[in-house]
Amino acid sequence: MGFPKFKKEYYGYLFIAPFIIGFLIFGLYPVYNTLALSFTDTTLMSRNADFVGLANFERLFADDVFLNAVRNTWLIWILNFIPQIGIALLLSAWFTDTRLKIKAVGVWRALFFLPNLLVPASVAALFFAFFSFYGPVNQFMVRYGLLPEAMHYLQSVPVMRGLVIFIQWWMWFGQTVIIVMAGMTSIPISLYEAAMVDGATASQMFRRITLPLLKPILIYIFVTSLVGGMQMFDIPFLLTDGRGSPNSSIQTNNILMYMKFASSKGHIGAASSVGVLVFLMTSLCALGIFYFLGENENSNTGKSWKNLFKKKS
Amino acid sequence: MSNYRFTLSLTRVFIYIVLFILLIVTIVPIWLLIVNATRSTTEIQQGLSLLPSTHLVENYNILLGKGLNLPRGFMNSTFLAVSSTIVTVYFSMLTAYGIVTYEFKGKQIFSNFIVVLVMIPMQLSIIGFYQYMSRLGLTDNYAALILPLIANAGGVFFGKQYLESMVLRDLIDAARIDGASELAIFHRVMMPLAIPGAATMGIFAFIASWNNFFNAFILISSLDKYTLPMLVQTLRGDVYRTEFGAIYLGLAATIVPIIIIYAFFSRYIVSGIAMGAIKE
Repeated sequence: MGFPKFKKEYYGYLFIAPFIIGFLIFGLYPVYNTLALSFTDTTLMSRNADFVGLANFERLFADDVFLNAVRNTWLIWILNFIPQIGIALLLSAWFTDTRLKIKAVGVWRALFFLPNLLVPASVAALFFAFFSFYGPVNQFMVRYGLLPEAMHYLQSVPVMRGLVIFIQWWMWFGQTVIIVMAGMTSIPISLYEAAMVDGATASQMFRRITLPLLKPILIYIFVTSLVGGMQMFDIPFLLTDGRGSPNSSIQTNNILMYMKFASSKGHIGAASSVGVLVFLMTSLCALGIFYFLGENENSNTGKSWKNLFKKKS
Repeated sequence: MSNYRFTLSLTRVFIYIVLFILLIVTIVPIWLLIVNATRSTTEIQQGLSLLPSTHLVENYNILLGKGLNLPRGFMNSTFLAVSSTIVTVYFSMLTAYGIVTYEFKGKQIFSNFIVVLVMIPMQLSIIGFYQYMSRLGLTDNYAALILPLIANAGGVFFGKQYLESMVLRDLIDAARIDGASELAIFHRVMMPLAIPGAATMGIFAFIASWNNFFNAFILISSLDKYTLPMLVQTLRGDVYRTEFGAIYLGLAATIVPIIIIYAFFSRYIVSGIAMGAIKE
């Protein structure tokens, strides 16, 4: 349009330059620095640090502490994700069903989403107060005879694990409903009309139309939830003593990393090695899911995700 | 046909029951928190109640008496959240505008890179980030929490989605003919038009900063710089062991501002969530 081509190119770079500089300084370099630290015995207390090769990593696998944290994190994430996605699919199917005509969909949805916005640290402290020995849960259970006597919930492995899973579900199912619903409403109604003419049942339409077209959205939810779940910290950290008690049963990856960082000497070399391994595990799983599940996609909505890793011709 | 109608209304009743149960599960913990913040410790120990009481001020005085500087934490959190919001919105829009408006070599790669960054668990490099900031003398400094937001991949992704849905081309060309510089076009033409999108992004940036515990917990050490989530962590300490009313009030103080924001902007927030995820 009368503008020299070089000028436009130049401005494009100028506009994205702050992001790139910011990313190099505050994003990429810290990742490199974490990796570099993980090969040293650096502590916060001493100035000198030695290169120790893979010693930090060997130590992580020498006992069960690291693997226990990884297992806990996966267990808590999977057991919160399944009901989260299940309920989201169910509620979205109900909310978008034109025959059911559910009233005040926007209000239900907005209320279900509310817990997601609350300060996670406060949510954890709140449930700690609810489940403490003199807290309201014991009052309720004893008064209505559901338990013969007050119970020390905070010392029970199944109760605490269940509680972290519940809180994670509680905070995230509303968001998943919103995203799944947005995906469902973007599916053309004509597809359902055609299926209804052909005499398809509701469950047939759900399996043959809704689910396949929803796949890119489901992959997005799956991956973002996984990445968030692997970095879970606030809730399990503040729910008990900050060490993942009882019995290290809710000690997650990030809690272990923090414990090494905050240990008396501040073993940041060792803490970095936890960060590096979890970073690798999470990124590989996320990109793997994304790549393999996204690849077989043949719907229109999936195009952009599918093309993400393909070279642009 | 009447049989069909009967089944349909039966289904509807069942659905409303399920929705109602989910609503109770969602709201009751929050409601109990707010109610307990107004009840005395004795009342709380006597039993459950869903009705507020009259001990709000008393609880507040207990908190202050124990040395929990709630107003200070409130100001710190507000300052940090406002600064984070401004940095996120400005730089994310700037980057997104660059991608949407100009053609340049590597544009597609850069766009894809943003999406990949959204999926990468950057929080796991916090240890390297901390050690690097301590070398620069930026630990215990809010700059360490604000400056990284210059490169906020989530913000750029959202901004790009939003700007692509606007028709800017003609306006930009008209401004160019009027002799406006490219940066002036961004500031004077695009920004005013993109206010709804910028506001939505800003609400998310504000809440993310307000709720952030982990990064602040690692980087900030002096008590007078503690944010509200960090004060919540000190509420777990022995000093407050039996002051239940005061503890609930401290927690309520951190979440009530967010509930108020949500009451006003829930439509923006809900549509923003959907927009961040759907990519056509």
